Amino acid sequence: MDWLEEELKSALNRKEPSPGFEARVAGAARHQKVVTMPRRWVAAAAAVIVLAGAGEAYRWHRGQETKEQLMLAMRITGGKLNRVQMQVSGTRQ
Amino acid sequence: MVFSVAYHFLHDRDLAEEVAQDVFLSLHRNLAAVESPAHAGNWLRKVAVQRSIDAARRRTRRPQVSLEEVAEPATRPATGDPMLGELLRKLIATLPEGPRMAMVLRYQEDLDPSEIAEAMAIPLGTVKSHIQRSLALLREKLARRGVGER
Repeated sequence: MDWLEEELKSALNRKEPSPGFEARVAGAARHQKVVTMPRRWVAAAAAVIVLAGAGEAYRWHRGQETKEQLMLAMRITGGKLNRVQMQVSGTRQ
Repeated sequence: MVFSVAYHFLHDRDLAEEVAQDVFLSLHRNLAAVESPAHAGNWLRKVAVQRSIDAARRRTRRPQVSLEEVAEPATRPATGDPMLGELLRKLIATLPEGPRMAMVLRYQEDLDPSEIAEAMAIPLGTVKSHIQRSLALLREKLARRGVGER
């Protein structure tokens, strides 16, 4: 390191901010916390509600599908039973 | 470190404090992402560099540094001479933003070129070029003012 670089190191020594800087930053951070924390909670609550709603809707949708499938199965079974009953009745006669 | 980088780069105490406050509040918002004290140090340095450059760009004019206003040392002074120190700070303040930040990080933070490249997010070759050209320019300007090698 030559003389100029030594001078540069000396000239660019670290500087401190004015007194009270830390207190101002801490105050601003506290204010920031008050502003940002409820938003975070609102966002988290909204996410929970959306997920819960989506889960409920999915379960309802699956329930409807199952109900329709059950009704279809019962109609098919009912039709088959009718045909079997008619065949049995025909055989007896 | 944060205030000092902003101060030497911007040459404006009030603006440097604004930048430093902004950087610390940003850290406060992102505390969850900080993994270790070393990570926090690197993070602060990077953000201080970015915010200082942003602040300089927002400022419509260059820092009010007139080389004619700086008193000229008559002879080569001893290391750490306050007048030469002030002259050097003002000469650095006249450099374009890239070379200026590279010089601040090199001689204030004592970072090597690869660390500067990472902090400034620029290629290593560019950092080396910024430092070499800035040193050459400073030597030339000092020589013109009668300040030379011992």
